[in-house]
Amino acid sequence: MLWQQLVNGLTLGAIYTLLALSFSIVMGILGILNLAIAELFMIGGYFGFTLIAANFPLPVAVLGGMAGAAIAAMLIEKIGYQPLRGAPVVTPMLSTLGFSIILQNVATNFWGSDPLQLPDEYLGRQYTVGPVNIGQMQLIVVGATIVLVTLVAYTVQRTTIGRALRAVAENREVSRLLGVSADRLTLFAFALSGALAGVAGVLIALHYGAITPYLGVEIGLKAVAVMVIGGTTNIWGALLAGPLIGVVEVLTVAYGGSQVRDFVVYGFMILILLLRPQGLLGGARSDQGQRV
Amino acid sequence: MILSARGLQVRYGAITAVRGVDIDVAEGEIVALLGANGAGKSTIARAIAGLLPFQGEIAYKGEKLRPNDAERNVRRGIVLVPEGRGILGRMTVEENLAMGIYTRADKSQGIADLKRMQERFPILGQRRHNAASLLSGGEQQLLATARALLSKPRLLLLDEPSLGLAPQATAYLFGVIAETRAEGLSVLLVEQKARQTLKVADRAYLLETGRVVASGAAQKLIEDPVVSDAFLGGRG
Ligand SMILES: Nc1ncnc2c1ncn2[C@@H]1O[C@H](COP(=O)(O)OP(=O)(O)OP(=O)(O)O)[C@@H](O)[C@H]1O
Ligand SMILES: [Mg+2]
Repeated sequence: MLWQQLVNGLTLGAIYTLLALSFSIVMGILGILNLAIAELFMIGGYFGFTLIAANFPLPVAVLGGMAGAAIAAMLIEKIGYQPLRGAPVVTPMLSTLGFSIILQNVATNFWGSDPLQLPDEYLGRQYTVGPVNIGQMQLIVVGATIVLVTLVAYTVQRTTIGRALRAVAENREVSRLLGVSADRLTLFAFALSGALAGVAGVLIALHYGAITPYLGVEIGLKAVAVMVIGGTTNIWGALLAGPLIGVVEVLTVAYGGSQVRDFVVYGFMILILLLRPQGLLGGARSDQGQRV
Repeated sequence: MILSARGLQVRYGAITAVRGVDIDVAEGEIVALLGANGAGKSTIARAIAGLLPFQGEIAYKGEKLRPNDAERNVRRGIVLVPEGRGILGRMTVEENLAMGIYTRADKSQGIADLKRMQERFPILGQRRHNAASLLSGGEQQLLATARALLSKPRLLLLDEPSLGLAPQATAYLFGVIAETRAEGLSVLLVEQKARQTLKVADRAYLLETGRVVASGAAQKLIEDPVVSDAFLGGRG
């Protein structure tokens, strides 16, 4: 029983990790919380879902969800963020809140407010390993997460564009003096962040076999807690906090009931804010601000 | 002239920091921009680099520069090492140097240049895997200068490179700056340490509250009694 919970928790944790990374990339570069990410996650899920329903192969659906959310994220940057640069940080954050409400509305109008179900054959096979049942979709979720996190880590740490991204995050003006187009890199950061949210959305839809327009509020926003717990100044904190919160949440539901689930996750976040505001992996200084 | 500014004016809201300044830099020349705190030296350097809106005209190799065009100016060959050095402290020393070749099209040549730079300044080679923030002030200034040189500037703008440096470190750095002239580079050197600066510069402009109050050959300015009294703290 416990092992089964751990496997389920890690699957959920994989989704949280991707989403927390998504929040963290924008946070790290611009110091703002892009609240629309939770809804980009939901929109990505719907895009993927629609493609699956139209009988496209799974990889196409995943890429479609990724691309759809990335494009939406870029639009948000162009319309809702760039014109507001230089305004106090709360202004672009409010603008992303506006976008998240719009996205939710679009989804309800377009796909309806009732959950959509995946065809049964899509839930895939179950594998039994000792006492644990692992679904094919769970393997896909965890596998895709490992691949994506590795790719993002490699891009940010080892490539020229990743280095430029870190330069913009650390000091926008200095990065410009080195020839980095800070505006373009900002757009790239939004796109990368949107792509991760979109994939996470498709994966969660596959995992649950269903999707609703309220996915962002129910699951997406929890990634903010995951990011805070991992440490907003260190994007790799999500790698620890994602699986941790996933497991804690699943165990809470299993042994405490689903009514205390959010209480535990968000309570954990508040506890971290009070006791260790830099997060689990954050550096010694919490005032240091953004870091990629 | 590689650079000529005419009637350059820069405002910060209600404050006019630079009030109609003319500056020329010829190919291969080291030109000093001297003045007390708040004279407007950094403002001029930042306007040329493309970090600020300005009025008047700045021409680089005969082409008019647009305000706020910093990232493109780097590709044109105008590189500013800002006041405070502009080191990316969270990156390693080597990553900072790698940012120096960000704009270069000849990447493999750039990497070879990067290696050569680490040999020319061995401290940058020895500390290449350290966070740049761990370097001393003098080492950071060296890193900033080396990083700027790696982007192959034609016009190098240095804003108070000697700030916070011991006299020997300053002398060493000015030696490096003088060497760069041999590579055909033009330098606009913003400084407060007038006497030391005039020794490496060919020409200089003396700035006071946003206006040029004296200019000419560095040697002449050192000998000019009026300038000497006002800017160099008298003889000696
Ligand atoms: N961002 C800014 N906003 C408002 N005023 C500014 C700003 N930057 C500089 N100033 C003002 O413009 C004037 C010139 O400043 P600047 O930094 O160019 O002087 P400086 O010659 O470089 O001085 P220092 O030797 O101290 O570096 C000063 O009066 C300064 O207060
Ligand atoms: Mg200055």
